[in-house]
Amino acid sequence: MSLTAADWLHKIHELPLSEPVKVMNVCGGHERSITMAGLRAALPKTVELIPGPGCPVCICPEEDVYVAIQLALHEAVIVVAFGDMLRVPVNVGKRDIRSLEHAKAAGADIRPIASPLEALQIAEQNPQRQVVFFAAGFETTTAPVAALLMQGIPDNLSLLLSGRLTWPAVAMLLETGQARFNALIAPGHVATVMGAQEWQFVVDQYQMPTAIAGFTPVSLLAALYSCLRQGLEHKPFLDNCYPQVVTEHGNLTAQQYLQQTMTVQDAPWRGIGNIAQSGFSLRNSEHDARVRFPDYAEPARKRAGEMPAGCDCARVVLGAIYPNQCRLYGSACTPRHPIGPCMVSDEGACRIWWSSGVRTFEPSSAA
Amino acid sequence: MCLGIPMQVVEINQFVARCTAKGVERDVSLFMLQHENLAVGDYVMVHVGYAIQKMTEEEAHSSWELFDEMVRLEEEALAAYQQGNKPNA
Repeated sequence: MSLTAADWLHKIHELPLSEPVKVMNVCGGHERSITMAGLRAALPKTVELIPGPGCPVCICPEEDVYVAIQLALHEAVIVVAFGDMLRVPVNVGKRDIRSLEHAKAAGADIRPIASPLEALQIAEQNPQRQVVFFAAGFETTTAPVAALLMQGIPDNLSLLLSGRLTWPAVAMLLETGQARFNALIAPGHVATVMGAQEWQFVVDQYQMPTAIAGFTPVSLLAALYSCLRQGLEHKPFLDNCYPQVVTEHGNLTAQQYLQQTMTVQDAPWRGIGNIAQSGFSLRNSEHDARVRFPDYAEPARKRAGEMPAGCDCARVVLGAIYPNQCRLYGSACTPRHPIGPCMVSDEGACRIWWSSGVRTFEPSSAA
Repeated sequence: MCLGIPMQVVEINQFVARCTAKGVERDVSLFMLQHENLAVGDYVMVHVGYAIQKMTEEEAHSSWELFDEMVRLEEEALAAYQQGNKPNA
């Protein structure tokens, strides 16, 4: 018989935990389930759950958002992007256009989409026009983009690709000694596509308890229990707590599409800088919007690549602070008037915390 | 956009399947599941319009319950906030 969430909580409370344990997750979906189900309050005081780099919108390079806005404003194109990207602000002067949404209001043809298939449809419905698909996302979103390319896309469709890999951010935190966590809950759907084995390095190189979780409280609590127990027994291993869809090697067809259409390179993360081997680039320049259109990047622009002034999203993303430890949280920065991308995206930790009812700046909730 | 939604296949036309989840129907690409032998009635995990993995009916149902629960909790949190405070202007 399978255990309920209450059973798992009971098992966790039975563990002889004496040392504090900090468990990081790297998926906005995990953070949403943890926060909405109120799991933090139900856990022993020694156990801390830290939201980490799990929001692709939050770390999408500011330069890329800026380029998408400039393309939409200055070229006769239709820009399509995942809906979350439209409200992400860039660092420009007060009178300048600061988001895709703002550019759309100023007359640019910008259309939110929910699937790469919609980008294809819009290109097919507008054969006389150039369509630029601004494709930000982690592996789960970039693999479908690769599938789209493999199926063949019309000449008038090009990609402004900002795809990123999840594990290199965790590797960077561990390598540079910035890791504030001592156990990891690995992302279930990234592992579904890329395979459980991608996370083996956390165990092999850092002897850190690691478990792959699904998105129900039961799956998350099972993964947490596994991490805690691995730590207590000093026997870390990679535990797959989401075997319903996660396999050792993942979706090989999807990985093959990624390999055939893209290369993996060092790439910038907003407010964080370059992370080794963390970004997807198009192999073929034929449908690359960066090749097809003039370069609007303007790297000398003030605060290019950075988070907005005063915004602590970069540290929230890296799990260095909790969302409500940012000074702007809940006052200057709310979902209605977001300053940082973590308050814009449904997968941003700030937005998730705010939606669950955490409303105020609390420096004292420091770990 | 990383959130996956389990859907049930109701019709297959080569690489595109008509799928349903809780009364909502959508076309889903099966292009990344070419290695699977999918049939009408099967459940798939769907990400941004693409099926990324086949799954069991049981897992699909527990995910749907989770979505319902999260929507309910968010609505409650919002209602509690609006009762207790003025909404942020």
